[in-house]
Amino acid sequence: MKKRQRAGFYFILPWLIGLIVFTAFPMLAAAYISLTDWDIVGNAKFIGLDNFKNVFRSEEFIKSLWVTFRYAILAVPLIIATSLTMAVMVSKNYKGMRIFRVIYYMPAIVSGVAVAIVFKWILDPSYGLINGVLSFFHIKGPDWLYDPDWVLPSYLIMAMWGAGGSLLTYLAALKDIPQDLYDAAMIDGANTWKKVKYITIPLMTPIIFYNLVLGIIAAFRKFTDAYVLGGAGKEGNFYMVYLYEEAFSHYRMGYATALAWILFAIILLLTIIVNWTKKYWVYSE
Amino acid sequence: MSWGKRKKTGKHLGRGRLTALYVVLVLGSVMMLLPFVWMVSTSFKVENDIFSIPIKWLPQKITFENYIKALRVVPIAKNMLNTVIIAVPKILGEVFVSALVAFGFARFAFKGRNILFMILLATMMLPYEVTMIPTFMIWSHLGLSDSYVPLVLPAFCGSASFIFFMRMYFETIPKDYEEAAWLDGAKNLKVFYMIFIPMAKPALVTISLWSFMGTWNDLLGQLIYIDSQHKYTVQLALASFSSMTGETLWGPLMAASCMALIPIIALLLYAQKYFMEGIKLGGIKG
Amino acid sequence: MKRNILIWIVFLLVLSMLNGCSKNSKDKNTFTFATWAAGTELEEFQAVIDKVNEEAAGEYKIEVLSIPSDYYVKISTKIAAKNSPDFFWLTQELISKYAKMGALADITEQFKHSDSLTPDMYYEGVLASAEYNGSYWGLPWIANPIIVFYNKTMFDELGIECPTATDDWTWEEFIDICRQVSGKEYKGNTVYGTIIDGWPNIETFIWAGGGDIIAKDGETIVLASEEAKKGMGYLQTIIKEGLSPRYAEVASLGSNNVWFEKQRVAMFFGGVQDNFETKVDKMDESEKFEIGYAPMPVCDDGSPWSFDWTASTVMAKSLEGNDLAYKALEAVTKTFFEWKIVPPVKGSINNVIKINPKKEVAMETIAYIMDYARSANYIPEWSDINDKLWYNLYVSLLNDASFDYRSQMDEIQAYSQDLISKR
Repeated sequence: MKKRQRAGFYFILPWLIGLIVFTAFPMLAAAYISLTDWDIVGNAKFIGLDNFKNVFRSEEFIKSLWVTFRYAILAVPLIIATSLTMAVMVSKNYKGMRIFRVIYYMPAIVSGVAVAIVFKWILDPSYGLINGVLSFFHIKGPDWLYDPDWVLPSYLIMAMWGAGGSLLTYLAALKDIPQDLYDAAMIDGANTWKKVKYITIPLMTPIIFYNLVLGIIAAFRKFTDAYVLGGAGKEGNFYMVYLYEEAFSHYRMGYATALAWILFAIILLLTIIVNWTKKYWVYSE
Repeated sequence: MSWGKRKKTGKHLGRGRLTALYVVLVLGSVMMLLPFVWMVSTSFKVENDIFSIPIKWLPQKITFENYIKALRVVPIAKNMLNTVIIAVPKILGEVFVSALVAFGFARFAFKGRNILFMILLATMMLPYEVTMIPTFMIWSHLGLSDSYVPLVLPAFCGSASFIFFMRMYFETIPKDYEEAAWLDGAKNLKVFYMIFIPMAKPALVTISLWSFMGTWNDLLGQLIYIDSQHKYTVQLALASFSSMTGETLWGPLMAASCMALIPIIALLLYAQKYFMEGIKLGGIKG
Repeated sequence: MKRNILIWIVFLLVLSMLNGCSKNSKDKNTFTFATWAAGTELEEFQAVIDKVNEEAAGEYKIEVLSIPSDYYVKISTKIAAKNSPDFFWLTQELISKYAKMGALADITEQFKHSDSLTPDMYYEGVLASAEYNGSYWGLPWIANPIIVFYNKTMFDELGIECPTATDDWTWEEFIDICRQVSGKEYKGNTVYGTIIDGWPNIETFIWAGGGDIIAKDGETIVLASEEAKKGMGYLQTIIKEGLSPRYAEVASLGSNNVWFEKQRVAMFFGGVQDNFETKVDKMDESEKFEIGYAPMPVCDDGSPWSFDWTASTVMAKSLEGNDLAYKALEAVTKTFFEWKIVPPVKGSINNVIKINPKKEVAMETIAYIMDYARSANYIPEWSDINDKLWYNLYVSLLNDASFDYRSQMDEIQAYSQDLISKR
């Protein structure tokens, strides 16, 4: 390695140290635990790959994976699109934009439990706000969280509401786009849409990539509001809720850890795929 | 900047389009704020008014009893202070180290970079519920249960998602800026400090905010590592309003939640100025 | 340069935190007591502990560890880290599980040979919850049986005959009253006979028919018996005939007890502890109503009964045989009898009035039902069985009155029996 390249190694050293000191042992422990029958409280009994075998035979596993997957595949693009739109709308320094930026970001600052409870009331089938507004237009709203067909849309609505969470990242990226590029484009006669399409979005792709990867991870690991509000009953709950209950309600930590590793593998696979496509659409100097 | 000047340059929206933008933004804001309106409104409601059919959005009688009760039940100011004590070192650690590490990943093509970066991403993929107990077991063994240390110390090795973000952010910065400096023979660290950090201010502010919010909203971590009540943080205080077997005190809970939101909103408003800075000029040509 | 200094300052700050938060050295006679009490309940709890410490006069000392959220997550994590709290609260469903996992001290000998608190002093129905595998694993400190609260004012206005405080009314009669109430207009609202939304628990209906889920031997599942199915039939009737608000409608008022407080339902299955009296006192005159009390409708065979919610204080395994610890445990438990209603020991029923004078009007019912209230027969496999009971049976029925609960009960029985055979 060239000397300059080696320097990079020193820069990442703090993280590497942290990896070894804080991350490696728990992950190795978790790997071992997944091969055991452990009720947390007692001793762990080594059982090899039995946990994994049981997972793949479990109906609950398939159901929760499907629920989570369906959610992820819809929520991730939805959130990115919503967030990008919000960002572009509030990016200019017009009067009052500062307040709007805070308002659109605010959903991300509340902790999950409070939000979940409030949405429970907003989505209430009989007296909630959404159905109230719908009834104004003479539409009978669905049972939302109580109707298996409408559980997923309920969570998507909550996801869109919280989409502002990535707002700051897009704003930070938007700030970076040199004004000269827009100037040059204008001279060439480009209109707003063309500017967005050929300048803004391409230069934002690194940040979009970031939000995509993180979005996938977050969607598959969705927990807090799902835990408070529940899934679709027999249709299955979110994967992490299933995992959490296996670990802390049924005291089957070994099995839960196996579930965790399977989730890990799925997310890793998806991320590798997305990362591989990086060279096709993500701009970098 | 005055209106007139903007219109002339033609870079910005015309009046009609601007109005439309504002309308859309306001409508959207209403939806964004609804749950908060509910929280604030409920915090001023009398107990009997909190649940009713149809749901009342505004309190019939405004009362401060929820706030008084909340302050009596938990020492919220102290809890906030405790959370800040955890948050400040954590922010400093996470933000600076993450930026440093991200710089390493972004600008130096050292051997094994891609693998290591993949590992970094991978560390975000394993649910912490399954690493939580082994981690706690170590800290406990070291005598550090009921302590802030397990919550703060790891921050000095950076945070995976912040490193990821800063790296992506650095990759959007045109190489031209540093080329000049490196040609001048500047040392790496100097390039980092003098060029990257200033240019990355919005990003740094962003992750600082995230770090703060992460600490402010972290219930499980603080629950596991903190035992003594005088060390309680905001989230633990909020958790005190609902009980496994008793009733949830909705009014005081909403009041306390509102109080807990104020510092974050204040920070957000304050941080806005970093997103309002003048647009970047074409520095290379100059 | 300035930034470097800053980072060093922070590092020093952190190091000082390290010193400040050093582990407390544990004396042999200091015991930690973990509880889920938080907020105001915690203040009361602390007062109880202070009193016990004072009376111990230095012989032992109890320290409080409040866990305001995710109680069992933290408890089990601490136990795993060999840092178990010395005493902690455990609800009845988990006692057999924790005992089986080896987290609890067997207190049978100390309990039986105690000078002041022996097994026979407890109501049998309550004590059963602390038993597993022939041993005692904890000292119950509360009994919260289910009784029927009813809106006397509404009954009178609608011209319905009220049940008496120790009535031996049947489920048929209960449902009949519901029929008389449901759908009527009262104070501008349509009212219902009662409210079922997952509460009361499923045992309420299964026991109503004279059946049970798990037999007393802890090994046989009897869920699919005709008695149990008959009991579930009552639930189906209530849902089918719309005698309770729809499941999807219930959460709109926050929680089920609010329906009773807002006078939308005539009768409510509540624990003795439920503080409706205090709530009504705080209401405006126009919203107040008189609360009446009745025991659960009797079982199909005529016998009175109620489901008893209880919890015990357990001792960590490492303290097994430790007499000082047991002494502290016993002292604390006895003090709880003066704090929580209903105290689970016979002859202490009047403590209820001392603790909560407003319950005096309910005393007749409370005293009557304590002899018949019992907790369920929990086994370590309960969490899995409960999941099936809830998702596959209870919720399904709540959502669809025509759901075939009978075959589902057969299925769950087979599943549960299978779990036990794998022991």
